[in-house]
Amino acid sequence: MKEICGLIKKDLLNLSSYKISLLVMLVCVFAIGSAGEEMWRYIPIVMTTMLGMIALSTFSYDELAKSDEYVLSLPVNKKEIVLEKYILVISMALIGGIIGFIITPIFTNILNNIRTENIINIDYNSLIFTTMGGIFGISLILAIQIPSIYKWGAEKGRIQMFILFFIIILLALGIAYLAPNLGININEEAINSFFQRFGILIVVCLLIIMYYISYRISNNSFRNKKN
Amino acid sequence: MEATIKVKNLNKKYEGFELKNISFEIPEGSIVGLIGENGAGKTTTIKSILNIIKSDGEIQVFGKDIKQNEKEIKSKLGVVLDDSFLSEYLTPKKINSIMKNFYNTWDKELFENYIKLFKLPENKMIKDFSSGMKMKLKIATAISHKPQILILDEPTSGLDPVVRNEILDIFRQFIAEDEKRSILISTHITTDLEHISDYIMFIKNGEITLNLPTSEILENYGIVKCDEKDFSKISKEDYEYYKKEKYQYEVLVSNKNTIKNKYGISTIDKASIEDIMLFYIKGEK
Repeated sequence: MKEICGLIKKDLLNLSSYKISLLVMLVCVFAIGSAGEEMWRYIPIVMTTMLGMIALSTFSYDELAKSDEYVLSLPVNKKEIVLEKYILVISMALIGGIIGFIITPIFTNILNNIRTENIINIDYNSLIFTTMGGIFGISLILAIQIPSIYKWGAEKGRIQMFILFFIIILLALGIAYLAPNLGININEEAINSFFQRFGILIVVCLLIIMYYISYRISNNSFRNKKN
Repeated sequence: MEATIKVKNLNKKYEGFELKNISFEIPEGSIVGLIGENGAGKTTTIKSILNIIKSDGEIQVFGKDIKQNEKEIKSKLGVVLDDSFLSEYLTPKKINSIMKNFYNTWDKELFENYIKLFKLPENKMIKDFSSGMKMKLKIATAISHKPQILILDEPTSGLDPVVRNEILDIFRQFIAEDEKRSILISTHITTDLEHISDYIMFIKNGEITLNLPTSEILENYGIVKCDEKDFSKISKEDYEYYKKEKYQYEVLVSNKNTIKNKYGISTIDKASIEDIMLFYIKGEK
């Protein structure tokens, strides 16, 4: 476990060069919040996505310094190296969501004091839902992204990520467009009610299954990579 | 003397390259130089010993199989790899704080002392270091947990003679501090090895073609310079390799004194390790 902590420390200290980017991100978040009444909803999504992506960039740092081989010369095994990346990436995405959840009321409060004519009322249920949705969304992407980076490297993995985003958007738009045209009646109320009752359970189960498969694939790829 | 590293029948095949039945031992308290041209298999051998790449054969370190006891063994190794280190966005100070998580024996103060000794800026990112500074940092990182064995892949390549000499002094000191320590050093700068190594191993096309004590090599190997007529008198069994130059033949022999007496040759030049390496690579049998 001490070695995993060492690997996490290595990655976090690497990411400390992102200090300026994080500050810029906070300014962007503030700008999003001030853009309009409804925009605050996106703050947790932006935060969780940004932190998740920043965590993924540690793969690029490793690739640039070819540090995989050096790390393998330290008293640490391949499984621990892969596990550390998962711990780091999931933790960062979670922390991003939590920070987003905390700063949203703070920012809206500040905005409400500045623009008293345009008070923003926060629906906390909706905020929780958005935060959870954001964390789930980015976790889904990361679970696919990590094994592909192990398989094809950080550069090709990035291209693959854009393709993944494109497919997800295409699927969502496709369903939204095709369903009414095919006469399929999407009962939004029933879906919402279903998700409100079982949403968290489904999300947690899905995440566990996804990450189990993702970790196994990454482990195999990394084990076979150094041949 | 016990062997700290034992390699037996090491085989590794890549497309267009093969390590063939590599076997050698690194005795306790010795510095062993692994020499050979680029692509001969030095780095592959080192990475196999470290289990960074998969290979066939037996590799024992401290009498234990590296694959079965990887973490325990690696905690007692100090490693410098030519083409791989931690991220260039880290500083020596950050490295000091990271490495203590990997080694129970990590000595923070010793690392700081090396950083001062090498005149490395503590808070500067590695990316802004010169090649010499980077290598010094790699070496400081490799020895600050007081390892029993140092495994060094090209630790002096790209460095000027002054820095190289400083680094070689550190290796000498490392061995002098504890007689059970050993060093395996791969390089193509053979002059470095003449000064510090106890044994020389020469690797050519994935095979070890020479493995002898350095003193024996420097004492017994020599170069006979002669014309074609004299060369034809030397029996094939009495020389290792020869090179046909424009006006003369150069012949590498491994037993200077015997050849002198047998053929009545008065002058046999001393052969440096670099000369020997060139004969092994370019010479004819």
